[in-house]
Amino acid sequence: MTESHPRPHHNLKWYPRTWRDRYGADCEQFLEDQYGDRPLPLSARLSMVRSGTVERLRSGGIIGSSVDPDTRVRGASLLVLCAWGVFIVAGSVFAKYTEHWPLATPSVDHWLPATAMAAVQAAAAVGVVIVILAGLACLPAFVQFTRSEGWRALWRLTRPMILSGIAAGAASTGIVAWNNHVGPSTTTPLGLRIAGVLAGLVVIAALAVSLATLISLVYRLRISSRITRVLGVLAVAMTLALAVIFAGALTWWISTALHAPWFFGSLVPQSPTSPAPLPMIVLGLMMLSGLVLAGIAAVRIATLRSHDGGTASPMAS
Amino acid sequence: MGKPKGLRRVNDPPLLILTSLAEGPKHGYALAQDIGEFAGVQLSPGALYGAIARLEERGLIEALPEVERRRPYRVTAAGSAELAEAMREMRRVVDVGTHRLGLLQGRLA
Repeated sequence: MTESHPRPHHNLKWYPRTWRDRYGADCEQFLEDQYGDRPLPLSARLSMVRSGTVERLRSGGIIGSSVDPDTRVRGASLLVLCAWGVFIVAGSVFAKYTEHWPLATPSVDHWLPATAMAAVQAAAAVGVVIVILAGLACLPAFVQFTRSEGWRALWRLTRPMILSGIAAGAASTGIVAWNNHVGPSTTTPLGLRIAGVLAGLVVIAALAVSLATLISLVYRLRISSRITRVLGVLAVAMTLALAVIFAGALTWWISTALHAPWFFGSLVPQSPTSPAPLPMIVLGLMMLSGLVLAGIAAVRIATLRSHDGGTASPMAS
Repeated sequence: MGKPKGLRRVNDPPLLILTSLAEGPKHGYALAQDIGEFAGVQLSPGALYGAIARLEERGLIEALPEVERRRPYRVTAAGSAELAEAMREMRRVVDVGTHRLGLLQGRLA
């Protein structure tokens, strides 16, 4: 009979390499002493998943204070990048959901939601600029990485991101082509709706894979302390931009709920409609969770002090 | 009737590990066995090695050379001092609780 349970060393894969180098053999011996040839109980496996994840977050500088300041700033900056990814998804759906709001809102009540929406769009544009600047700041380290490791290593690392990006592009193109083929006068067929949701999920998955790949890549780059400080400042600026997006979206929601609640329902003025529809609640929670993530990261960057290892907070300069 | 949970359990892994190592160096499996015997707590692999890593990082325990593929750990002077301080704090709580309940220490067992 073949072994159907994962061997102990498979459970150690949850831990970062540095931890495995230090404790891996010892931990494996412990598992052998404790459980012998028996399969690991689920509770033991889950404890290793949890512990390994915590160790990864620690070694990446995302939690704890056991790493050097540069790693901590880098980890916090990447956390902000993840928060931006959450906002990309939520913001895209928000933009689509609200695209015809001026038609439903009385002209006299346009000022506040229009200003809020303009703030959202401006902050979103600032966010894109920040990501581009962060990419440019990392470019020298990236070039150095490709020179030292070679294109083959880069391809191995970025292959999931490229392939998932191609899949997302194909899914989006297919949906747009199908939608154009159906035309605007026809009601959207069920098949197209389902395909649209599936394409959206593919795009979200591609975004998640891309973020994971970028994080993996950035941890391999040799980024100088000066550039790391720049990344820290950009991360804090991004957090502020995300806060503006959240505040703008919330203001728009409240304003529309007060002056044109029918926008969230039948679009018929004065018709009874809930001012808190499920899509807006989900979008609001997504943005809030992203903002909390970014806020935690920004606080970790801003509160970095010289006693944490010799480097002051990027915000101190 | 099963063992009561909560108030009668002191199940903080670092504290249990330091208490166990106060007796002498032990490797992971011996630690888990000892803790199971004196505290009735079965530490999971993740909790045990997570706590070992934190304690070693803080300089409260240190690793000794491997013996038959098993690496023993021993408590450092700083670890002994921290454990002693923790014991004093717990003792204060025990003394206050004992006094306020009107119980004699000998009758608690």
